[in-house]
Amino acid sequence: MKTNLLYSAVIAVLIFFFIGCENENNINESGYLVPKTVDEDSSIPSIFVNGTQLHAETFGNPNDPMLIFLHGGPGSDYRNGLNVQELADDGYYVIFYDQRGSGLSKRHDKKSYSIQLVLDDLTAVIEYYRTSPNQKVFLFGHSWGAMLGTAYVNSYPDKIDGLILAEPGGLNKKLLDEYGEMSRKINIFSEVTSNLLYVDQFITGKENQHAILDYKYGISSSFSYAKGNTEGIPGPSPFWRIGTTVLESFIDISENDGFDFTTNLDQYQTKVLFLYGELNKSYGLNFAQREAAYFPVSEIEEVKGTGHEMIYFKWENVEPLVLNYLNNLK
Amino acid sequence: MKAILVIITFLFSLLYSNILQSQTINWGNLKSEERHILNVNAGWEYSFVYGLSYGYHLKTKMPIILESSISFASGEVIFDDFKTKIGGQIHIYRIENFRFNAAIHGIYRRYGNPIVTLQNFGADASITIGYYKPKWFVAGEFGFDKAIVTHFKHTQIYEEVYPEVKNGWYEPSTGGNFNFGIQGGYSFKKSDLTLRAGKIITQDFKTTPMIPFYVQLGYNYKLD
Repeated sequence: MKTNLLYSAVIAVLIFFFIGCENENNINESGYLVPKTVDEDSSIPSIFVNGTQLHAETFGNPNDPMLIFLHGGPGSDYRNGLNVQELADDGYYVIFYDQRGSGLSKRHDKKSYSIQLVLDDLTAVIEYYRTSPNQKVFLFGHSWGAMLGTAYVNSYPDKIDGLILAEPGGLNKKLLDEYGEMSRKINIFSEVTSNLLYVDQFITGKENQHAILDYKYGISSSFSYAKGNTEGIPGPSPFWRIGTTVLESFIDISENDGFDFTTNLDQYQTKVLFLYGELNKSYGLNFAQREAAYFPVSEIEEVKGTGHEMIYFKWENVEPLVLNYLNNLK
Repeated sequence: MKAILVIITFLFSLLYSNILQSQTINWGNLKSEERHILNVNAGWEYSFVYGLSYGYHLKTKMPIILESSISFASGEVIFDDFKTKIGGQIHIYRIENFRFNAAIHGIYRRYGNPIVTLQNFGADASITIGYYKPKWFVAGEFGFDKAIVTHFKHTQIYEEVYPEVKNGWYEPSTGGNFNFGIQGGYSFKKSDLTLRAGKIITQDFKTTPMIPFYVQLGYNYKLD
């Protein structure tokens, strides 16, 4: 009887696996679980600058003032910021690009990333699209993108004609740590925590196995909009592909070397627009004021009815604030 | 190929009777007439988990325990994240109170979140070397847990992110983690109180899970 049971179990398992494994997919390759990047799919719009290939596209008249959107992350992409393209109808040349190693842009070795490198990328993007020396250049950064925009102005205060910062997560290491503590509280017994961590035994991925690592980080993104999140994020917002290696690289840089994007901000005399979402309990007016205090001239605006992902979920409330700011500097 | 490998692993585990979650046994206290070992445990293993297991002590010259276990990750949805194992452990060699033990298990586990449901068949193997007395024991453990073949089924949320995503079985192996640590326990009457703790690193020895540690508190009750 026991033998029969054993044989039955073995046959069942055999059938299960041979049927189940009929069409096995390769987890190591792009195109199965994550989309291909620009170097793997030539149909994706891209530019070659500063020794890399970036996923990029533009909207509007190339002779209008440039508005470059800087997405969050590090490692995310500009897909959830595409509402910004509407500013092309208001007389702005809107430029989107996925930062180095992010979104659909080309991946690089983990050890190759640095803050200076992504600043050089931004310089190269500006030079690539600029049609005249007098063309004004505005930066619109969201989250990490706002940190990057600040870092750029801190290094090159004369190159940028206006700066919009939507909830930068911290302009230096101290502020970043504070924001992280406020926005990433974990209850070890919760479903959210299990959703974030339990997957570590299913998918690992080695360093620079980008397709696996990017997928794994992508599916953990549900953590950010879980019920009760303090950043006021109501649900998923679209993305193409998370650049996990660049994210991990910048986390390492932050932890090992620290960073401070505020050391030279007193040289930037143009008014900076700060935006914060009414529903983001981790940011708020107080945090915005502390960050804005590093700039000589700033304006802080609350975006009603939204949280951290204000550009995707409440663009109708963001656009008037941004447009008013830009038109005053045009 | 993967299917064959899994089947071999599964059969091997059936015939020869767990690493990260084999029953923590005091081999110095296990009596030959004790046949059934019931175990409850809780602790951190990738997330907070609760587990039950059953072990059957075979009547063999070399002590073998066949075992099966199930554990659930904590959270509001109980049955979306769990792991089952079937396999066994064997006491291989003894020099006085020092004992050398090995274990192997076939694994079926499931993971679900708002974006994807994963089902995985894997295997683990471990060795334990320790000092065992009737009342207590302490041992070092080293193991490897391989996620051999995994099925991916995505929800609409991810299909909107990437409409061309391919559901189905994926190869080659989707993951693998090493663990190393210590275990120990106190035995009284027919019971053992056990504790295990250690570190987890991924198979490339360069990266780690987000929380790279495990700890498990267990209780065994033995029946004749």
